[in-house]
Amino acid sequence: MKKKLLSSLLAVTMVVSLTACGGDKGTEKTSEPAPSPEAIVSSEEEVVEQLDYEYGEHFHSETPVTYSMSFSDASWYPMTDQWKSEGVFAKITELTNVTLDLTSIDSNDYNDKIALSINAGDAPYIIPKTYDESMFVDGGAIVPVSKWTEFMPNFTNFVETYDMQADLDTITRNDGNFYRLPGMLEKPLQDYTFIIRKDLFDAAGVDVAAIEKDWTYDDLYDALVKVKAYMVSEGMCSESDYIWSDLWCGQESGQGSGGNLLKLMGFSYGVGSGWAVNDCIQFDQEKNEWYLSSTTENYKQFVTMANKFVEGGILDPETFTQDDSTATNKFFRGETAIMSVNRGQIATFESGLQEGLGAGNYETYLCVTPTGTNNYMAENTRLENGVMISKKAYDELGEEEFIKMLRFVDWLFYSDEAYDLIKWGIEGETYNVVDGQKVLADGWFCGGLGYGDPTPEDETDNKDMRLEYGYAGGNFWYGHRVDQMTDNFTPELQDYNERVAEYRTLRALNPALASTADENEQINLWKTPLVDNINTWTLNFVTGKKDIEAEWDTYVQSCVDANADNLVNLYNEINAR
Amino acid sequence: MKIETTDKKKTFKPGVKVKDSWQYRVFKVINVIIMLIICAATLYPFLYLVAQSFSSEAAIIKGQVSIFPVDFNLTTYRSVLMKGDFLNYYKNTILYAVIGTFFSVFFSALLAYPLSKSTLRLNKFFTPFIIFTMYFGGGMIPNYILMTSLGLRNTTLSFILPGLIGTYYVLLMKSFFQSLPHELEEAGEIDGLSKYGVFFRIVLPISKPIIATMVLFYMAGYWSNWFNAFLYLEDRSKWPVAYYLRQIIIGASTSADPGAVSAESMQVAANIKSCSMVLMAVPIICVYPFIQKYFVQGMMLGGVKG
Repeated sequence: MKKKLLSSLLAVTMVVSLTACGGDKGTEKTSEPAPSPEAIVSSEEEVVEQLDYEYGEHFHSETPVTYSMSFSDASWYPMTDQWKSEGVFAKITELTNVTLDLTSIDSNDYNDKIALSINAGDAPYIIPKTYDESMFVDGGAIVPVSKWTEFMPNFTNFVETYDMQADLDTITRNDGNFYRLPGMLEKPLQDYTFIIRKDLFDAAGVDVAAIEKDWTYDDLYDALVKVKAYMVSEGMCSESDYIWSDLWCGQESGQGSGGNLLKLMGFSYGVGSGWAVNDCIQFDQEKNEWYLSSTTENYKQFVTMANKFVEGGILDPETFTQDDSTATNKFFRGETAIMSVNRGQIATFESGLQEGLGAGNYETYLCVTPTGTNNYMAENTRLENGVMISKKAYDELGEEEFIKMLRFVDWLFYSDEAYDLIKWGIEGETYNVVDGQKVLADGWFCGGLGYGDPTPEDETDNKDMRLEYGYAGGNFWYGHRVDQMTDNFTPELQDYNERVAEYRTLRALNPALASTADENEQINLWKTPLVDNINTWTLNFVTGKKDIEAEWDTYVQSCVDANADNLVNLYNEINAR
Repeated sequence: MKIETTDKKKTFKPGVKVKDSWQYRVFKVINVIIMLIICAATLYPFLYLVAQSFSSEAAIIKGQVSIFPVDFNLTTYRSVLMKGDFLNYYKNTILYAVIGTFFSVFFSALLAYPLSKSTLRLNKFFTPFIIFTMYFGGGMIPNYILMTSLGLRNTTLSFILPGLIGTYYVLLMKSFFQSLPHELEEAGEIDGLSKYGVFFRIVLPISKPIIATMVLFYMAGYWSNWFNAFLYLEDRSKWPVAYYLRQIIIGASTSADPGAVSAESMQVAANIKSCSMVLMAVPIICVYPFIQKYFVQGMMLGGVKG
């Protein structure tokens, strides 16, 4: 009897608690429903009149306003109060009369904390540095920003000037809207490539600069065979050692897919692999249909080529299981002659080589990745991470003020004025323009822009403007024109980018897949095991655990069994709609 | 058969040394070897960490460090302790651990004591009600909303309050209190002590074993807790050292995140990471040998029904 009483009591408590959770807001919503995006936009023309702010290339509010914004705070240049009192945020306020109420979140936990705050209904108005907004769309917590871009002159200007609509279509959902204001690039930059030990290649008689324009992976293999022969003859390694042990391919950073290396190689053969394995279904522009690239003849050539490096004693098969630090340390010790790199790591690798080999004992070169069956670079997207706008902003600000906030967002993320401010600081103070080139002013250096301290032995004479004032931080300056993006590149990096642009071409974009929520679920149900199957077989082929010729048909059948055909058919059905 | 009989006789004679059978001796040797292997496997990572923390970065990169430091130096320790905010994080951890442990033990005892009394009205309701919370929690997001609504985010309380009372520990303490002889409490009451007097002046003083165990459990929990900091502490100046450590380790491993922009990468030197880990682990390692018996004892004490 007592147990029954207790059970009843607990049940009643639970029901009461659940009822209480509903709160008063439910009543408010019933009496005053939040307007749909369509309804919101219908009255926008009336709002533009009688503004208390100027907008366009510049934005300035007549009255001081405050907008909340999340901030991805990197621990290696943490935000300080000085940024707000005299640094980047103070300057933003000075120029626009807008104060940013910042929620600083450590960059490692940024995505998780944003998800938490959105789900808890506590998100800031402006949420920058968003890579994937899809998980928040169905909950209605973020605004379909595509409906508001007409209020954003800098954004629309860039879209029109550089013909970005096809790129924007790739993030447009089946309701016809996109929910993230993306960073936009005039042209994609091929960030990941290979860094080679030029001194070893030269000594082995391989002039990479002379052959890289149209070299193939076979050419790279031949070159590495020569380099290995030289290293063996010099006693730098033995015949049984591998001279290529790559990073970003192991279980952790490679995500069990072969990571960066197989992505770079794969797209040279027109197939999505490694980090891009989720793009295994590619679009055939000529036939106007989707197909599974992972079972094509190109794919077979690609895994055969990758396997050739392993079988030939060049590429260490541990590449696909090891930690990144194992790979970098081998390179720093001079045991390997080639490794993947991106522009953020060049300085780190340089100091690692100096530690391991000593300055002056080596020479490096950023090479253009070889070709496979095509001449494409791996990257083809012109979109970067972007900004989400919380629905809470509209609810709390009201329509007029919401539009005003969007004008400010447009200025902050898309105007040239804000771009220069956030990246370089104040002209005449932190930087100067000399012969049309921006250079840091005396007394300043900036790790974020690739400017090291010219006198590291004296810690007092120069200051890092990113640490001091927060300029050149990672929350803002994504995208924009090529001249803006590359205005801080080292000559070596600029040279590399020019070579890539000259030697390689751009893959056409896959069209957007305007799938419904149900179709998305079905795609995920089929795609996840299919991708796992492809990854397993690919790594087995590449590392030589399975014979490519003998087991190719079994592999193709395993993909069919994993619903590959159904998935491709579904893609094509959606495409035809 | 004969040998067995002899052994049995010997077993029952106190002071007489038992001669081990050869099988038993072999077993002991194998046992010792296996134990040594396990000890080495357990000890090696820590020794490696300590050796790295005292070695130069160049030696680590060259792979020369094993269990002995190479290019021994104290520069890393000096740098970690003098520069940056490490000491501040350390101070926070000590603060959270000391304050948190004190209040956790105090409130746990305050809750466990009445529950240990069968005479407590509605005891059969309260105890299951408390046990209920072991299996069903509000969840992360409701807790986050609650802390936000209370205005406790970015405060010391947000680190301590959510885990102030551990249900499992309360049950351990309750069992311990139940095992105490109630005659002592009755004697105190006869001599004029109130219920609170009995609790503070009789029960608590004779409950040192369980309190020591609880102190250790709670303190170890607070010392290594980073999740509350992740949820509620955005302000770096309030971070505990465990969260800082997590960030530098995660930061290094995600430097090549395919989604991350390359200019945003970070590499923390291996010796700095090792040094930070050693500094965090040392206090608990130093304290543990002296109070490890309470770990076992406490569990045993709590498990005995009165």
